[in-house]
Amino acid sequence: MNIVAISFIGILTATISLTLKKYNGEISFVVAVIGSVLIFLSVLLNLNSISDTVNSIFSTANINSTYIAILLKAMGICFLTEFACDCCIDAGQKALANNISLAGKILVLVTAIPLYQEVLNTVLSLTGGAV
Amino acid sequence: MDVDMIFKIAAIGIIVAILNQLLVRSGREEQAMLTTLAGLIVVLSMLVTQISALFGTIKSLFGL
Repeated sequence: MNIVAISFIGILTATISLTLKKYNGEISFVVAVIGSVLIFLSVLLNLNSISDTVNSIFSTANINSTYIAILLKAMGICFLTEFACDCCIDAGQKALANNISLAGKILVLVTAIPLYQEVLNTVLSLTGGAV
Repeated sequence: MDVDMIFKIAAIGIIVAILNQLLVRSGREEQAMLTTLAGLIVVLSMLVTQISALFGTIKSLFGL
């Protein structure tokens, strides 16, 4: 990941988008989205190597791998929601962005519910079943 | 990273804007509208392939 290249792409995209806005508003928005998609893709492709390292660290620490899967899933949902939300705000649709954000929050909660169950079971086993 | 994609779309945008102006000045509003629509569809199809690549990467990376 080259931070100079990424910053350059950002400034370039913003300039092109600003230039096109007066003549062709839709394509100006598409240019902005394509720029963010390119930057996001380049970051994610570098994240691939980190994921392996994190997995090996957690397996060494004897932590259940399902927890890591849930954690990664929640992170992916957050990334996707954030991206879609910002695109909608850029397009001037704030209500749509808020709805996507709400869906993301609910989905993260749904993904994390097994963890709550686990905590509850631990508490119950510590108190011997009596609350 | 292919920055060419951004330049390509910017070029399409400029060409479509110029064509639109020319057609409007010569009194062909309908063709101008259709040109804008065609440009938008071409650009959107490029955007959709990129976004599907991004979502595929996220899906495989985070196990969604």
